[in-house]
Amino acid sequence: MGLLLELAAGGLIAGGIYAVVAMGLNLQYGLMRIMNISHGEFLMLGAYLTWFAHTTFQVNPLLFLPAAAGLLFLLGLAVYGLCFRRIVRTAPSLEVIEARSLLVGFGLMFLVQNAVYLAWGADLQGYSFLTQPVEIAGARFGANRLLVFGFAVGASLALLALLRWTLVGKAVRAMMQSPTGAQLVGIDTGVLHPVVFGAGLALAGVAGALLSMVYVISPSMGEPYTVTALIVITLGGLGSAAGCLVGGLLLGLVEAFGMHYANPSFKMLLSYGVLIAVLIARPQGLFKR
Amino acid sequence: MNIPHAVKRLVLAALAVATVAPALAQEPPVRIGYAISRSGPFAAGAQTTQEPNYILWADQVNAAGGLNVQGKRRKIELVGIDDRSEVETMVRTVEKLMTSDKMDLVLPPWGTGMNFAVMPLLAKYGYPVIAPTATGRRLIEMKNPFFFPILQQPDTIMRALAEMLAARGVKTVAAIYVDELFGLENISALEAALKAKGIRILEKKSYPIGVKDLAAVLNEFKSLNPDAFIGVTYPPDTFLVTGQAKQLGFNPKIFYTAVGAAFPVYRDKMGVATVEGVMGIGSWNSKASPASKVYFDAHVAKFQKEPDRWGSPHAWAGMQILQAAIEKVGLDRKAIRDYIANTEHDTLIGKVRWRDGENVSTPGMVLQWQKGEFEVIWPPDRATAQPIIPKPEWK
Repeated sequence: MGLLLELAAGGLIAGGIYAVVAMGLNLQYGLMRIMNISHGEFLMLGAYLTWFAHTTFQVNPLLFLPAAAGLLFLLGLAVYGLCFRRIVRTAPSLEVIEARSLLVGFGLMFLVQNAVYLAWGADLQGYSFLTQPVEIAGARFGANRLLVFGFAVGASLALLALLRWTLVGKAVRAMMQSPTGAQLVGIDTGVLHPVVFGAGLALAGVAGALLSMVYVISPSMGEPYTVTALIVITLGGLGSAAGCLVGGLLLGLVEAFGMHYANPSFKMLLSYGVLIAVLIARPQGLFKR
Repeated sequence: MNIPHAVKRLVLAALAVATVAPALAQEPPVRIGYAISRSGPFAAGAQTTQEPNYILWADQVNAAGGLNVQGKRRKIELVGIDDRSEVETMVRTVEKLMTSDKMDLVLPPWGTGMNFAVMPLLAKYGYPVIAPTATGRRLIEMKNPFFFPILQQPDTIMRALAEMLAARGVKTVAAIYVDELFGLENISALEAALKAKGIRILEKKSYPIGVKDLAAVLNEFKSLNPDAFIGVTYPPDTFLVTGQAKQLGFNPKIFYTAVGAAFPVYRDKMGVATVEGVMGIGSWNSKASPASKVYFDAHVAKFQKEPDRWGSPHAWAGMQILQAAIEKVGLDRKAIRDYIANTEHDTLIGKVRWRDGENVSTPGMVLQWQKGEFEVIWPPDRATAQPIIPKPEWK
């Protein structure tokens, strides 16, 4: 029984990390159909900014979280203005936005990655933070991993509440269902659209900042996270904040148990297996109505 | 209107002199090309263990006046190109460097897989290469006369590890290995070596590249309580298992990881106190000889980072051998090949001699982090410090 609990807890924590990674892309792709394939690169940028602030200016990585979010948010507004505004404005349908933004995302991927290579080099980087174990009911977990898990749950619930119960959330959902209709009822999509995109980048930045406390970082770390994020938001249902969290946790649980009872080498097989199973049973994802 | 015309002529003449004069005074440079990963997943390894050594070597040789090629001083011109961690790009680039760019020599790419891919070109165009980051019996079995791997082979490394474990009374081992050529070859070498010493493997598990969580496996190992943990790991995973073993309180008498343990960033990321007592693959540290200290300091001065304790010294030794070969036999690539193959070389990592395509002089070694330095603890005749066994508690 102890082992089962330990496996479950470990899986949930890993799943929390997946959920954090996916949240930003869920806003951009899930809600706005902007297929930001460079999501992982902005996550990487958040990780580097945090690492840089911590190792150069001794800034506490936790205190830097809001700064990472703010910087990436502003960058998001700029990227939106430069790259995506035109696409969104000129595209005749959501499908076209998806296809065109995919190409722009590829370009951004190279830009951001190479900018980081130029600034900080290709070496592995990292710092040690909150690596002490925390003991809960006899099982031991890393404090930094617990922190990521806590943030994942907290941020997901906050986002869920925001989208469901506030006027802003209603406006965002309206904009997704019908951009023109939203404008007709007085929603300023010209402001809301870039803000939601920027929020997506800010979440990516925070995820990167959190991950830099757990893992070693390098400029090429981003791409696998983009894939993970895509799996998680597809599992949960595009645009669903609860789905994102549950999708991440489910993936973490399946991997933890699978890796224990089968073999860690089956990790990929397991994650794609879950994805395929969900897609067959519920093609719209777990939480999409 | 005559005056400006005259001025123009004067300027042109001065320009002509300025461009021709150095060419007359100096020999043409020795052009050495290479493709290496500056971006993509291999970049971290390549930029830690390999390319800095190429640049440092060319810098130092040029500062001293250049290579002595048959009595003439010639500067080195390095032509390095990013292969983006793509085998295809690397092969195409190297072939271009050898053919249309007519490089005098080429330097190897980074990593076992990349070197495996470049080997046919070396034989086809007759370019000798000393590879500091390629290891595997499969490479040697190719019997490529122009390819000189200078790293220790998996069976050599694992035999040394097993000898050390046996000498320290280790009876049981739990092992993980990365599901890739490097991991597979090393785990089978490890199994054979441990069997020969009568050491039991309680459990072994493979894991995929890019794994983000190994807590489940480490927890299981913890309950088995082995004398030694052996991780045949790659750099990001080396960090991962160290961090998670610490968090889970899995602290066997011997804790060993493979690639990446020798990287200075391993100590810097995990913390000097955390890695205290952790063992891993390596070959060298700056205490090995006075020349080692000179190399170490030059590397730090040039790049503001320390060389790692495995690939870097091998890369540097390779450059030393290449330089000696050129200064001995000139730029005839066949003659350079023969010189490399048939000479015992004096290098940063000690004597190096190839027999049947394998560096048979450098022994397998075990190193251990002690107070911020990766100390050689096995074999005894290479040791720079006494081993700390059992490993202290995680801090």
